[in-house]
Formats: sequence, C-alpha cells, structure tokens
Amino acid sequence: MQQPITPAPKPQAAKPKPPEPPPHFQEGAIAKMDAAGLVKILTTPSSSEFQKAKACMRAGELAAKEAVPALAALLDDEHLSVYARYGLEPITDPSAGDALRAALTKLKGDRLIGVVNSLGKRRDAKSAPTLVKMMNGADQDLARAAAAALGSIGNEAVSKDLLATMNKATGLTKMAIADACLVCAERMIADGKREQGLALYATLSAPSVPKAARLGAMQAIISQEISIARPR
Amino acid sequence: MPTRRQILKSAVAPMIVPSYVLGQRAGAVAPSDKVVFGGIGIGSRGAHVLSKILIIPEAKFVAICDVRDERRETIKSTVDKAYGNRDCQMYGDQYEVLARSDIDAFLIATGDRWHTPLSIIAAQHGKDVYCEKPCSMSIEESWALADAFRRYNRLYQAGCQRRNGANFVLCRELLKAGHLGKLKALYANVGPSVNWPPLPSRDWLEEEPLPPKQVLDWDRWLGPAPWRPYHSSYVRGGWRNFYDFHGGGILEWGSHTVDLCHWAADLDHTQPVEYEPVGTNVGPYFVNCRYENGVKLVMRDNGWNGALNTGSCSFKIEGEDGWVETGDQSTIECSDNIKPLLRPTEHARMALENHMREFVHCVRNRTNPSANADAAANSHVTCHAAFIAYQLGKTLTWDPAKSAFTNSDIANNMRSRALREPWRI
Repeated sequence: MQQPITPAPKPQAAKPKPPEPPPHFQEGAIAKMDAAGLVKILTTPSSSEFQKAKACMRAGELAAKEAVPALAALLDDEHLSVYARYGLEPITDPSAGDALRAALTKLKGDRLIGVVNSLGKRRDAKSAPTLVKMMNGADQDLARAAAAALGSIGNEAVSKDLLATMNKATGLTKMAIADACLVCAERMIADGKREQGLALYATLSAPSVPKAARLGAMQAIISQEISIARPR
Repeated sequence: MPTRRQILKSAVAPMIVPSYVLGQRAGAVAPSDKVVFGGIGIGSRGAHVLSKILIIPEAKFVAICDVRDERRETIKSTVDKAYGNRDCQMYGDQYEVLARSDIDAFLIATGDRWHTPLSIIAAQHGKDVYCEKPCSMSIEESWALADAFRRYNRLYQAGCQRRNGANFVLCRELLKAGHLGKLKALYANVGPSVNWPPLPSRDWLEEEPLPPKQVLDWDRWLGPAPWRPYHSSYVRGGWRNFYDFHGGGILEWGSHTVDLCHWAADLDHTQPVEYEPVGTNVGPYFVNCRYENGVKLVMRDNGWNGALNTGSCSFKIEGEDGWVETGDQSTIECSDNIKPLLRPTEHARMALENHMREFVHCVRNRTNPSANADAAANSHVTCHAAFIAYQLGKTLTWDPAKSAFTNSDIANNMRSRALREPWRI
C-alpha cells in the first residue's frame, strides 16, 4: 500500500436521522397512483395542500393530459402554483399549452411570471404576441420573464421584437433582453437559421449592448466562424 | 503650498522608496492583479472553501451575500480578521452584490437548489464562478449551466477538488501511461445509504412557526425549490434528506466520484448509455452503467471509507492489466504489478487548496479550469440519469446525442423540475 506524506483524517460519523414526517405529510400511495386517481385528488375539495402538491408532481412524471384542467386550476395558488407547473410542463398534449396560455390573462405577479417561465421552457410560439406586450409593459419583473421566454422560443420574428425593446430598455431589463437575444441566436442557429443567428450576434456586438452580452456575442461570432473552417 | 515640480526641484537626490513603506513585500501581488471574490450563501462547507481563498495571495474576498443575517456576520468577521480590516461588505440581495463591477468571481456555496440559477445569473453579470457540488438539480439544469458559461465565455470551476488531489492525479497518470492496460471498468463510490439514502424523502416535515424575516427569509431560502411549510431542520442542513432539495446519495458523492471517473478516462464529454439500478433504499445499493464503447461504470455504496479503506469519495480504475483505487485517505490500493510504480503523494486534503489555486490561476490567465461547466454537466447528467433509474427501479437506456432516455417516457418527464416562481434558468 502506498503511504501519503501526511496522516489521514478521521472518518466521518454517520449523520443523525432527520425528524419523522407526520402521517398527513407522507406521500404514500400517491407516488404510484394512475392519472384517474390523481385527478380525483386534485378535484376533491377536501384534499390537503400536501396531497395536491404530490399529485401534481406525479401527474408531471406521467405527463397525464387528463389532469390538465385540474392542474390549470391551481396556477393561481400561492403555494401550489409551482406544483401545477411541475405537472403541466412535461405534458406534450396541446391542452397543456392552451391552459398555460389561457392563464396569461388571468394571473398577476409571481404566479404570472411562473406561467411565462413555463411557456418559455415549452418554446410555446403561440404565446409570443402576448409575451411581446408583456416585455413592453410597465412591470419590469414581468418584462424580464417575458424576454427570457421569447428568447427561448427563439425565431426570427421574436428576435426583431427583442431587439426593438432592448434599444429602449435600461438596467436589469436591458441585460435580460440581451441575454434573451443570445439564447434566441443560439436557437436560430440550432434550427438551421445560421445567417439570421449570426446577424443577431452582429447586432449584439454594438457598444450600447450590456458588456457581458456584447462579449458573449463577439465570442459566438468567432466560434461560428471557426466552426465552419472556411479556407482563407 | 509648494507644487509637485517645486518639491522635485528641491530634492537633493532621487528618492527610492522601499516597497515595505508602501505596504508591499517582495513578490507581493499588486491589488490590481488580484482576483476579487464575492461569496453567496456561505455556510460550513463554504467557509472551508473560503479559508483557501483567504490564503491565496492572488485572491481577495470583499463581499458576502446571504439570506441569514447570522451567517453574513460570521463570514464578514472571518474575512475582516484574516485581512486585518473591516472592508468585507454584507448583502442580502444577490443582484446588489452581482452589480459590483470590482468583483471578478463568486464563490457560490448555497444549498444545491440555488447552485445552477445563481451560477447562471452570475455568468449573465459577466462573473466567473467557483460553485460547490452538486452543481445542478436536474438534467435540464446541468445543460443550462454549461450553455450559460459557454454563452458568456465565463469560467466555471465545480467544487470537484479531487481533480487536483495528488493521489487521484497519480491514479489517472497510471491509466493514461498505459500501465493498467485497456480500460475495462470505472467504480465511483456513491453516498452511503446510512448517510444519504439513494431515494431522498418526498415528504414534508410538520410546520413550525417561521422565524422573523430578518433572521431567516424563508421565501428566499426556498428560492427555486417548490414551496413547503417551514421546519428548522431544513435550514440546519436537514434539507439533504429531501427530494425537493437534494439528489440523494448518488448525487451527493457521485458528483465527485463520477466526475473523477470521467476525468481519469477522458469521458468529460459524454455519458453512459445504460443504467441498471440494484438495491433498495436501505443497505448497499448500486447502479451499473455502460458507456457506448463498452466501458463499465459502477456507482456503488461501499460505505464511508470504501471496502479497501481508501477513504470517502473513493474511485477505482480497472484495466485489463491492473487496477488502482484511492480516496480521501490518500492511500492507493492496487494490483501487485502496479505497486512498484507508486510514489508518495501529497495528502488528499490539499486538493481543495490546489483546486482553488487552479481556479484563481485560470481567472487571471483566462484559461478553462479542469472542473469546468461542460465537464460538470456531463458528470452531473450521468448522476441524474442514474438517480432517475433508481427512482423508477428499472434499467434505462440513454441517447447522449439526444440527451434523452430511449425506453421510458416517464424518465424523460423527470429530466427537468419546475422552478418556483419567479426563478428560472
């Protein structure tokens, strides 16, 4: 056996056991439940907050489209909204996107931002017109979330909206829109729109763009140039 | 008042001011050459990492941000004492500290749930990041992390310090020099089930009264994790027992040891294509994995010190001609033919300091650290995929090119977790 230069530390003792969860906060059978059972929990008025939270998570893992209406009903719940989105985000059925889009006109504050984030994650192009309005609205937290979602959707149309708004924006919002532009450019290039993506990077290289994003855009142009290895 | 020219004219001889008069010692680093650090969420582990920053002459720590006032005060006190001043500034809001243009890099040592979102926000602000592990909560977060650091051309060093541990380096050298022969299998010791079961609890603890917001901002503490009622156990470190905050024993140590396997075998760019879980939530457990080239990766619960007593976070490399195993005890166990090739090494406990020094060096020279975001993403995706296989209790197959499971829709649905509003990655 090879010896180290200095002596070894003592091994760590096993960590103490955590407190026991009470019976009403134990997931139990919900972890294995099918879609019908989950919908029943989510639509039963006497179901607890905990039961609904776990049912949402399980619905997301199953991508249970049957649960969409019940999940959508929880999007305005302060505690359960994140769980509802946990359920809705993986559901590829169009009804999940429809439910999230419908919530855009009903929610406010952080709940609304959460839904915007989920639509961005799903690259929901149908929500772009509403997101553009939000990006240009007075609520700066919402504007930043909308910009991020638009960047994630990432097509030529939203790139124009992002650039137009970025030129008017300031501070953290300008930074968020610049970030969204970088993401948008990546998405366009990945989707085969290389020239459009490079044009967006070129626009982001302007001195008025926040420094971190500007440098990122310049680096991306160099990487793209190298990647195609043209003879010089 | 005499002018500068008059003073210079009146001087009888050129003045040579010794450097110690200016507070500089021979070989000292000019302030403008130092990497200026801020810290976010520094508890016990973070304080250990911070202690290494404080002894590196090329680094300077100037600001701490934390949701807990007690921790802010503790870190400020530690830093001020080390530097002999009262300059360390305290913040409760990460955006305020990230806005400081004089800070080059951040040490992020929050709970796992915050690692990816905060690292990405830091990159968006043009900062380099040293982040504790596990670096991500999901497969989706792992890729988002790598994308963000590539997008902003910022430097990221995951807290996988064993890449800079001499005994681990020696084992890697033995493989790369061909002494072990053709690679057959890699063994990554994962968190022992007595400490971190492979399946962390999805339950909640009974609600306790919330402390005052100035003592603990529960909403900010939860951050991107799903809401749950407050219990003091979570904030005392008990969060590691719960799925919403933690990836169980596989992520807890796998983020170190799978990372070591990838690093040693030049697999930093890929993930295994098959994951077979073996075991329950009690007692030893395994995940048998296989890479596309046929090499095996065995994630194994081998107790705290490993079966060969090589210490915590041990890993083993097995080739056709020999094998080596090492861990935090620094000793290297190996096949007989390898023994003549061993040499005494620096103790593994030096790994953290070396790792931080490497990061500081990279920041100053704009070179990519060894535990960079791409490498971290690949090792973490491997761990998350194994964790998902363990949760589902079935063998999963994986397509690295598509970053998708090929035999389970449910597993694919578990590649991401919704973040609590307003947080996003």
